[in-house]
Amino acid sequence: MTKLLSADGVDITQKNFQQILIRGDGKDQFNQVVNKEISLQPPSKNLELKTNDKCIFAKNSFDQWTLVYLVEQDYKEILKIISNLNLNDEILASDYSYGQVYFEVLGKNKNEFLNKLTQFDLRDKKFPDFSMAQTLIARIDCYIYKLNEKYIITCNKSYEDYFKKRLIDLINL
Amino acid sequence: MSALKNKNCNYISNKEIKITFDGRSYSAYEGDTIASALLRNNIRLIGRSFKYHRPRGIYTCGIEEPNALVQILNEHNEPNTRATIKRAYEGINICSQNRWPSLSFDIGSINNILSPIFSAGFYYKTFMGPKGFWKKIYEPLIRRTAGLGKPPKNFRSKSIHQNHNVDILIVGGGLSGLLAARKLIDTDKQVLLVEQDSFLGGILNNSNKVKKIDGKNTFEWIQETEKLILKSNNIKILKNTLVTTYNFTNHLIALEDKFSGKKIDINKSELTLHKIRTTHTILANGHIERFISFRNNDLPGVMLASSFEKYIERYGVVPDEKPAIFTNNSSTISLVKSLINLNCKPCAYIDSRKKEDIEDETKEYLIKNNIPFYPESEVEGCEGNKKVEKVFIRNNSNKISSINSSMLCPSGGFNPDIHLFTQSKGLVKWDEKINSFKPDTAFQNTITLGSVSGNYEFKNLCEEINKKLSFLKVKDLNPEIETNIRDDFSIEELWETKTDKTSKWAKSFIDLHNDVTTKDLKQAINEGYDRIEHLKRYTTNSMGTDQGKISSINSLGIVSKILNKKISEVGTTTYRPPYAPLSFAAIAGRSTYEYYDPERKTPIHNWHIKNNAVFEDVGQWKRPWYFKKHETETMHQAVQRESKQTRRSAGILDGSTLGKIEIKGKDALEFMNLMYTNAFTKMKPMTSRYALMLGEDGMIMDDGIICKINDKHFIATTTSGGAPKVFAHMEEFLQTEWPHLQVYLNSITEQFTTFNISGPRTREIMRKVFTDIDFNNEKFPFMTFKTFNYKNTEARIMRASFTGELGYEIYISPQYALELWELIFKHGKDFDLVPYGTETMHLLRAEKGYVVIGQETDGTVTPIDINFNWMIGKKKKDFIGKRSLTRSDTVRDDRKQLVGIIPLNKSQFIEEGQHVVECENLPNKIKTPVEYLGHISSSYHSPNLNHCISMAMVKGGNKLMGKKLFVSTPKGTKNIPVEIVNPVFIDPENKRLTS
Repeated sequence: MTKLLSADGVDITQKNFQQILIRGDGKDQFNQVVNKEISLQPPSKNLELKTNDKCIFAKNSFDQWTLVYLVEQDYKEILKIISNLNLNDEILASDYSYGQVYFEVLGKNKNEFLNKLTQFDLRDKKFPDFSMAQTLIARIDCYIYKLNEKYIITCNKSYEDYFKKRLIDLINL
Repeated sequence: MSALKNKNCNYISNKEIKITFDGRSYSAYEGDTIASALLRNNIRLIGRSFKYHRPRGIYTCGIEEPNALVQILNEHNEPNTRATIKRAYEGINICSQNRWPSLSFDIGSINNILSPIFSAGFYYKTFMGPKGFWKKIYEPLIRRTAGLGKPPKNFRSKSIHQNHNVDILIVGGGLSGLLAARKLIDTDKQVLLVEQDSFLGGILNNSNKVKKIDGKNTFEWIQETEKLILKSNNIKILKNTLVTTYNFTNHLIALEDKFSGKKIDINKSELTLHKIRTTHTILANGHIERFISFRNNDLPGVMLASSFEKYIERYGVVPDEKPAIFTNNSSTISLVKSLINLNCKPCAYIDSRKKEDIEDETKEYLIKNNIPFYPESEVEGCEGNKKVEKVFIRNNSNKISSINSSMLCPSGGFNPDIHLFTQSKGLVKWDEKINSFKPDTAFQNTITLGSVSGNYEFKNLCEEINKKLSFLKVKDLNPEIETNIRDDFSIEELWETKTDKTSKWAKSFIDLHNDVTTKDLKQAINEGYDRIEHLKRYTTNSMGTDQGKISSINSLGIVSKILNKKISEVGTTTYRPPYAPLSFAAIAGRSTYEYYDPERKTPIHNWHIKNNAVFEDVGQWKRPWYFKKHETETMHQAVQRESKQTRRSAGILDGSTLGKIEIKGKDALEFMNLMYTNAFTKMKPMTSRYALMLGEDGMIMDDGIICKINDKHFIATTTSGGAPKVFAHMEEFLQTEWPHLQVYLNSITEQFTTFNISGPRTREIMRKVFTDIDFNNEKFPFMTFKTFNYKNTEARIMRASFTGELGYEIYISPQYALELWELIFKHGKDFDLVPYGTETMHLLRAEKGYVVIGQETDGTVTPIDINFNWMIGKKKKDFIGKRSLTRSDTVRDDRKQLVGIIPLNKSQFIEEGQHVVECENLPNKIKTPVEYLGHISSSYHSPNLNHCISMAMVKGGNKLMGKKLFVSTPKGTKNIPVEIVNPVFIDPENKRLTS
């Protein structure tokens, strides 16, 4: 966890989360297999997310889910879950833990700040709590998850330096 | 500062500041614009006109200004700044434009005498000859004289963009905008109110027309309204922000000057480009006064009447104590009253309307205050030396008299500011009552309120607002608006007065910005340009940066009279965004310099930096191009060294940028057979295969290595630049063409760092690093792979090579990438392991005759063209592009085919991109086309063969083996003699590869 910036009503911290990307048909068998492995029912509505104290589980599209661990897990366990999920022919699970970077965005001015980098409509009525979206932030492809008072943003690790520089640059202008 | 100060003005502070104009220092007040500051100092001459270099002064008091454009020397030498909106600050250094050697004595004004040459469309008629004059005389001369200001210097903008998503956008914080905002306070609508000035109020600040609202004076009412808005949770105000663009789907662009009235801080962003997406747009952006064309209507001292009043009321400066007023409408009495309130008096009030049409109140007021009144009269022209000195008045008996006056304030009526409305594709219609175009049918969710909708009467304003906003279901507002003038607007059509031309200098202008005269319009029509859009372009009328804000309707009026048509029949020209000039810096925002394009780095990027890598951009990736051994080593030396060392011992490449896609599902095998040309059915699990992907046209789209884990699970690699395209291509086919296939894809490019290690000593290094794996050739043959546990993560090693040497590709989780890379180097040290970059990779693969997609191929190359027939699964039922491979054109023998080329003289070097031809020399002057046989796609100096090797795409190349041809050079006409050879230069038997 690294504090990236805290100014003008915006707090951004880089987090060490882990992630699994899951694809499947979302039908009963899929739900059962997933539920058995992670004890959390996959969300059924597009762009909806479910959460408990250790992870968020979001439905990205009609056949894609992301499972983000907010509390660091034993990596062996994550690989085991992936392996178990992949035993089923109708599921593809891929490890996204270390190829992604994660940022937690808090503060009363977080929407205004992020809207310097994205056109995405962050208003509560358009982007309610416990929903997610895939959008361009600072011209790169990001996932954004909304949890009560905060956002979690993830992007590919290769963009890490660029993305951090853009965040810091804007807070200073 | 001798110009009178209106002490009742609430918007200018008493704090004095110093400004510099053309090297001289002047005093001004904080809150002044450059124009108000200069007027305060009795400066009338501000610049020179675009074409004729005529002296010009301040004509208006806002964004519509066509004349007073200045250069701000201390702001990166910013040119063409409108003095009427740019706020002055302590130390601002301003310079006039388009004059030499000085503003008062400008050599360029000779153009005015030569004006017959510069008539309408002169640039279509001149500069035709004599031969050779264009390059040597006309072009240099035009380049030297074109433009107004000088371009900015050493400019590095920090402009930013800000996106907004709102329910309602209100454009304009004048009376209508504020009333609309008050209705929306504390509703569930999120509202953004945008005002171009630094104060809200608009006409309430700019004129004396409104006396009280709800019993409060206008200043108090504005303050109260602003407080209420700021207290509300749902309305945000943006000041100093001009809406410039109204796009489709209620998307608007506005530009905020964040340093309005302040010196720019170069560490902060000076401009913010607001991108606003809204459900409804309320346009309350008012109106613009237009002028009247008369002789010398451009002289400094001619200023629109409402602008004169704005200088008094908004800026507290009275530009002249005794101006002459010339009008064709009822609004100008407001200016008279403003002047009388300050104990000033117009020297003449000239009204073109018949006496009986002029309001009684006006006539009585003029008589009561003893103001010389000229009804049914018009200004014939004015004269003076670089300023108005005499005004000539023609009465209804056609008699001309003159008066002495140093300022003349014409008012030709008002145009609703329909610019944004028409940008939104709204339709306008001609209104005879106000003598102008006004909004008719909205194309988007656009509501116009107040004078922009053609409603100039305050008494109807609240009713209009309540009615038009009733769909929002918010409470009605009915404030009492008390005015100082009679509220019903009347106007008589008058575009141009009759001129008795007295000298060649005399001109009647229709477009002050581009120096277009009314005579030019008439001439253009005589020459056949009688359509308004043609006429606009031929004369450049209203094509200046002001887009003819004060004059375009006048030109329609004049044209309609000449053509004997109604204005509504003549129509309008197209209003195009932006409403006012936008700098490229504002449009670009932060997408410049270091943020021009997002950068991608591999997990071991910092190691490369530490080891003197020189990077090249591959898409967005930063890839090591080559590694400098020492400061003075050149790229050529580094690449030759890296290549030799790799072939001699071992080399390693960071191949993390390669695209990787995981493919899984019960129909994965069928999917892969359809996506690629190769057959995967008989391929054994845990083996890999080089594969080709074609487009539906049969042309090569991408390549990569496919690892088959089992029939239901594959991992494909792609080219670095092609990864997103290939992934999208696969998804598209899965979702649209083959939805019955049960297959899922995940991009795992970032989840695995990839190292490509190759060279004869590679196996020894690998054995040291991965002690548990058997690297014996029989146990780990070419094109197989193994998965293994590395620190509790699953890693993969594949036996493959892009150099032609014994090689392995290692795939590892990014978290252990650097650690493993360093471990390989630790063990590799004993085996002379060298890191190499992309240039060496290209050289090594060219020696082996391997193609690079995008280098040998260009979207017109089939697998057959590059001798990849062996990669096409002949027994496969279908794959993307299969049908296209049997088209008559794709099976032609004389298609360009891949060949190798070597120079006959081994010391010569062939450049990439050069042409392959049959002739030894190119003629000095090419009169007939030289037959082109093909082009060099790759060319390197091979350190291992010690001569140049090239790959080329040559017509019918397969049949030309051994033939002598020629390759052109970048310089000279002598071509290089070459021989066509097999493109595999090293190890054609694959002994090294499979060893």
